[in-house]
Amino acid sequence: MSGKSRSAAANKGRGGGSVLRLPTARIAIVILLGVLVLTFFGSSLAPQDPLKINSNALFQGPSAAHLLGTDYLGRDVLSRLMAGTRLSVLTALEAVGIGLVAGAPLGVATVFFGRTFDFMANRVADALMTLPSIFFAVAVTAALGNGLVQAMFPVGILLIPGFFRITRAATLEFARAQYVEAAELLGGSKLHVIRVHVVRKVFPTVAVSTAIAVGAALLSVSFLTFLGIGVQPPAPTWGGVLSSDLNYLNLAPWAPFIPGALIAITVGALNALADAYRDRTGPGMLLPEADPVIKTHSTLSTTEDADARQPAA
Amino acid sequence: MMAVIELTSAELANTGGAIAPRRRRARVAAARVGGGIGVLLPILVLSSFITYSLGALSNSNPAATILGQDAATPAAVAHLNHVLGLDKPLIVQYWDWLSRAVRGNLGTSYFSQIPVSQSIAQRLPVDLSIAILAVILAVILGGTTGTIAAVRRGGWFDRGLTIVCSAVSTLPAFVVGIILVVIFAVTAHLLPANGYMGPAQGIGPWLEHIILPALALALQVAADIARQLRTSLVSVLEQNYITGARVRGLPWRRILVRHALRNAAGPALVILGNDFPIMLAGAVAAEAVFSLPGLGQLLLNAAESRDIPVVQGLLLVVSTFVVVVNLVVNTVLAWLYRSSEGVGT
Repeated sequence: MSGKSRSAAANKGRGGGSVLRLPTARIAIVILLGVLVLTFFGSSLAPQDPLKINSNALFQGPSAAHLLGTDYLGRDVLSRLMAGTRLSVLTALEAVGIGLVAGAPLGVATVFFGRTFDFMANRVADALMTLPSIFFAVAVTAALGNGLVQAMFPVGILLIPGFFRITRAATLEFARAQYVEAAELLGGSKLHVIRVHVVRKVFPTVAVSTAIAVGAALLSVSFLTFLGIGVQPPAPTWGGVLSSDLNYLNLAPWAPFIPGALIAITVGALNALADAYRDRTGPGMLLPEADPVIKTHSTLSTTEDADARQPAA
Repeated sequence: MMAVIELTSAELANTGGAIAPRRRRARVAAARVGGGIGVLLPILVLSSFITYSLGALSNSNPAATILGQDAATPAAVAHLNHVLGLDKPLIVQYWDWLSRAVRGNLGTSYFSQIPVSQSIAQRLPVDLSIAILAVILAVILGGTTGTIAAVRRGGWFDRGLTIVCSAVSTLPAFVVGIILVVIFAVTAHLLPANGYMGPAQGIGPWLEHIILPALALALQVAADIARQLRTSLVSVLEQNYITGARVRGLPWRRILVRHALRNAAGPALVILGNDFPIMLAGAVAAEAVFSLPGLGQLLLNAAESRDIPVVQGLLLVVSTFVVVVNLVVNTVLAWLYRSSEGVGT
């Protein structure tokens, strides 16, 4: 028991601690913490009422009274974006949660529980992957009713095969390792071996994919809200702010850049954090099956290599 | 995708032996395509079933909606349900729908009474022309920038491209589209900001209307291609045979195009195939930004009015498209790399 917790602590020290030493990771974490604060306290922190219409201040540029300007009804853009954070972030997390909870355990399980199960799961994953998520999300709102929670449900379902594939590939890599074999020979039960020797190794890969998936889900949410799916008009969302800006480009061409930048910075921070974590913990490539193998080993020694380069330079 | 490759490598092993090489190759190619279809057909059936059950899942009552509030007496609703076949078990309904769909009949819209296949056929050219132009733009943009970055590895272009690529990958197509509208239509007045004209009304106006949406779609894919091509080209350029070709004094351009690019293009092509569903979603985005009359708008309208046959038909057509494109990409890849070992294992 004590040995187990010690190795867990060591793992944590190597993974979590050292990521923070990278400046990009620190910036990314600060940005993400900011977004998280906005998620929970956005509407109470907002300087003005996001729904208050002011016909004397339409299409204003950034000023002291309105830090990010006003929209076509004179509403404060900053307040609308702050208040809109909660729905966007929470529904993105909903989708990723579905994908992660259903996909990752399945990915580990298929490796250990027989070839028939593995085959079936892979075919279902293939089938799900043919459904384009945005089309599917819009279609589901037709069936289940117009709401963002409903719309992001299928997006989560369609994230399952991705998580499944990535976890499965990572598990395959470790399942054949000698220490797993040794643990099995020592009489460790299947569940014990999986829990102690495999899950911990697979974790970094899944963590990286989760961060990237949250970014992708945020893009999906903002796109769905941009299309006007799942929200009643006065309620603010990131995508909704963008789509109303689109109608008044002639009057306020700068306006869409503000919500656009907010989305891009958040997604960029998630990607940067994923990259930093991957650099530090070094899990394999994200989608191994996507790349046909090319032989990448140069058999030249470094001096030969330098010689070979000379004539071209 | 994995499945196709697995299957074909198994067949490769089986068909060896005494047959003449050319015939063997043809047979392998046929087996590859056949095997691909054999695997993808069940996938399509499964995904179409998921699609179809969506309509049944909805607790909407189409008969009542069609009849309107006044005429929706229980008897009339029951009669219409019978006419529409909605009183049969789900699996029977699905089978009827699928067997009609295979013959090109996707049913009719509940509301407009227009055949679904007709309204899809009407709008498909819009998305197709955007998507095809986007693929061309992405290959040209991503291909050239990726190649230059790999050849000048570590230079300012290479580093700049890395930054631009990661910036672009955080921007969704609809934001890129809006930025393009602001730059080219609102500020510079060079191109129309919205609307669509078919190629029948002149190639020039047609291109004018689709170039911005296509560019918005292409940028992200171009960034993916550039990144992937750069990585694989860098590793290919380090190979012995490239050094050998240089030592033998072959012209650099020929080495790059014939020997390096051909071998490095595989992963980028896979990306192109994988990104196709993303492109379709992006086409919906582009339609929304540039108000084009495409499939996305049809879907949005149908979803809003709960026009289930239209939604089901659209999903079936789109997912079939994705599957077929994947099959084509896989076949092309297998053909490109027919002589090299280790591909796809």
